[in-house]
Amino acid sequence: MTTAIALTRSRRRFSDHQVAIALLLPIALINVVGFMLPIFNLARFSFNRATTGGGIENVLTLENWTGLLRDPFYLELILNSIWISLGVTLCALVLSYPIALYLHRSSGTWRTFLTVLVISPLLTSAVVRTYGWIAILSDEGPVVGAIKSVGLTPPPLMFNINGVFIGLTEILMPYMILALMAGFGRLDPKVEEAARTLGATPWQCFRRVILPLTAPGIALGCLLCFVLAVSSFITPKLMGGGRVFLLATEIYDQAIVTLNWPLASTLSILVLIIFGAALVAYSAVLKRLD
Amino acid sequence: MKTGTLARSVAALALTAGMGQAETVVLSAYSGIFEENYMKAVVEPFMEAHPEIEVEFYGMPNSAQMLGTLRAQKDAPQIDVMIMDVSVAKAATDEGLFAPLDASVTGHIDDLYPQAKVDGVNAVGVTFDNLVLLYNTDKVTDKPASWEALWDPQYKGQVSIPAVPDIQGTTLTILANRLAGGESYLDGMEPGLAKLMELAPNVQTWEPRPDVYQPISSGTAAIGIGWNARAQVYADKSDGKLGVVLPAEGSGFQINVIGLVQDAPAGDAAKTFIDYALSPEVQARFTETMFYAPTNQKAAPLISDAAISRTAAGAMDKMVPINWLEVATIRDGITEQWRRRIIPLSR
Repeated sequence: MTTAIALTRSRRRFSDHQVAIALLLPIALINVVGFMLPIFNLARFSFNRATTGGGIENVLTLENWTGLLRDPFYLELILNSIWISLGVTLCALVLSYPIALYLHRSSGTWRTFLTVLVISPLLTSAVVRTYGWIAILSDEGPVVGAIKSVGLTPPPLMFNINGVFIGLTEILMPYMILALMAGFGRLDPKVEEAARTLGATPWQCFRRVILPLTAPGIALGCLLCFVLAVSSFITPKLMGGGRVFLLATEIYDQAIVTLNWPLASTLSILVLIIFGAALVAYSAVLKRLD
Repeated sequence: MKTGTLARSVAALALTAGMGQAETVVLSAYSGIFEENYMKAVVEPFMEAHPEIEVEFYGMPNSAQMLGTLRAQKDAPQIDVMIMDVSVAKAATDEGLFAPLDASVTGHIDDLYPQAKVDGVNAVGVTFDNLVLLYNTDKVTDKPASWEALWDPQYKGQVSIPAVPDIQGTTLTILANRLAGGESYLDGMEPGLAKLMELAPNVQTWEPRPDVYQPISSGTAAIGIGWNARAQVYADKSDGKLGVVLPAEGSGFQINVIGLVQDAPAGDAAKTFIDYALSPEVQARFTETMFYAPTNQKAAPLISDAAISRTAAGAMDKMVPINWLEVATIRDGITEQWRRRIIPLSR
C-alpha cells in the first residue's frame, strides 16, 4: 500500500497549480473564441465607417462615437432607455416584494404550488406573453372596455410607452421574485418575532429588521431586472407601436433594417458600458450592506 | 440512401463528370410565404427539368441577414444564388460579394424591363412588387380608390403604417410627396413630410406585428399600407376580410434582384438556375402563384388576365420611378425627419 502511494507521488509530474490551469484552459478558450472575439469584433466595427446602402468602410474613425454624443436624438434615446429600465425595475420590485416575502414565509405543498405559479410564465416565450398583453390592452380589449363601462375615458394603453411599461414589468416579475427569494436567506422568522416581542411596531419591524436583511436580495433582483430591461427588445418592439425608441430596438433597426453595422456596434458597446456601470453600482451597494 | 436518390446521384455524377460541375445549387431567398411559393412555382419545376441539378433553398427572414451571411462566407461561399432587395444587393456588389451578371450568365438580360437593370449592381430584377393600400372589408365598406383614404378622419387611430427605416415607409414618403404636389424626391421631400405630419394623428401603430397584413385582416386596424404580392396571397386566405387596392395615383416598385455569388461553388449549375428563373415562362408562373409582377417583358402575354389585374404588370405606366440607389443616399435624412417631426405627432 505504502509503496503504491509512494509510486503515485513519484509519478506526479504536475503541480496543483498546473492542473488547475489545465482544467481551466478549455473553458477559457471557449470564452475567448465564443465571447471575447465577437466583442472585440463589435468594438472594431464601431470604429469603422458606414457607407450608403449598408456598406462598411474599413477605416479607423471616431465618427460613430462623436456623432452619437452630438446627436440629441441618441442622447434622448440613451436617457430614455435608462429611465424606462429603472422605472420598470422599480415597478417590478414593488409588485414582486410582497409576493416573494409571502413565498419565503409559506411552507410545504402550498409553497411549492405558489413557486410553480411564479415560475410558470417563464415556460412561455416572451413573444407569446407580449401578444397576450396586446390582446388585453388593445382598444377593443377587456381593460379598455371595463374602464369605458364606468364612464371614464381610458388613456391609450397599447402601442405607446404605457404598453411597454406594463408589458416589461410583468415579463420581468418572475426574475425579480426568484432573485429576491434567493437573497432572502438571511431572513429568519425568529428575528422578526424577537423584534416584535421587544416592542417594535409592524412598520418598525419591517423598516429596521426585514428590509435591511432582505437588501442583498433587492440589490440582486434590481441588477438582474435592469440588465434584462435595457436589453429587452421584443416587448418594446411589439408594444411600443414604433413610438418608443430604446437602445435595443435601435440596435435592431440599425443592424437589420438600415444596415448601419458600425452604428449598431457602437450602440451595442454602449449597452455593454451601461451594464458595466450597473455592475459597479451593484458591487458598491453590496459593499455598503456588508 | 434510397435507391431513387442513389440512382439520381449516380446519373448526376455521370452527367457532370469531367465538366467540373457541382450538382447542388444553394439558393438563398426570403423564408416563409415566399419560400413556400417559390419552391412550388420555380424550384421544384426546375429540378424536374434539370434532374442533374439539386436546388437547396436556404431561407432567411430579410435581406440584411442575407448580406451578413454573404459577408461571413466571403472566403468560402456556401451559397450560390441569392435573391434579395436591390439596395442591399448594391452594398453586396460594392463589397465584391456578387459576380458580374451579364449575357454570359443568362440570355434573358435583354428582355428585362429597364427598371430591372440597375447600374452598379451585379444582379438583375427577378420580381417587382409595389406598395398597395390594404383595408379591412368590415371596417371600410366603400372600397378606397386613393391613397388619401389613409388621411380620412374616420379612421383615426385605425391606420397601420410600417414606418421608416422600413422601405414601405420610405415608399409612402415618396408617394405622399407627389400627392402634396412635390416633384422628384431628389428635390427635397418637404411637401411629403408635411403631408405625413397630417397623417400621424390617424396612426395606430408604426410597427405592425407580425406584419401589416394580419392586424388588418383581423380588424385590429382598419386601413394601412403593404406590399402587393404578400397582400394578394393573404387576401385569398383571409376569407374576404383583407381588401387590396392599387390606388389611382399609382405606386412605387420594390425590386428583388437575383445575383450570382462571387466564387459560387456550384459554377455553371448556378448560372443555369438564374437563366431559368428569368425565363418568360417561369416568371409568368411565379406571377400566377404569388402576384409579383414579372421583370421579363416577354412574360406578360403568358399571364392570365385574372393574375395580371392583381399585379402592377398591367399598370407599368402608373408606377412612380424610384431609383433605390439614389434613395439610399437620402434615407438617413428621411429617417431623421420621420423620428423628429412625424412620429411624435401621433398619440
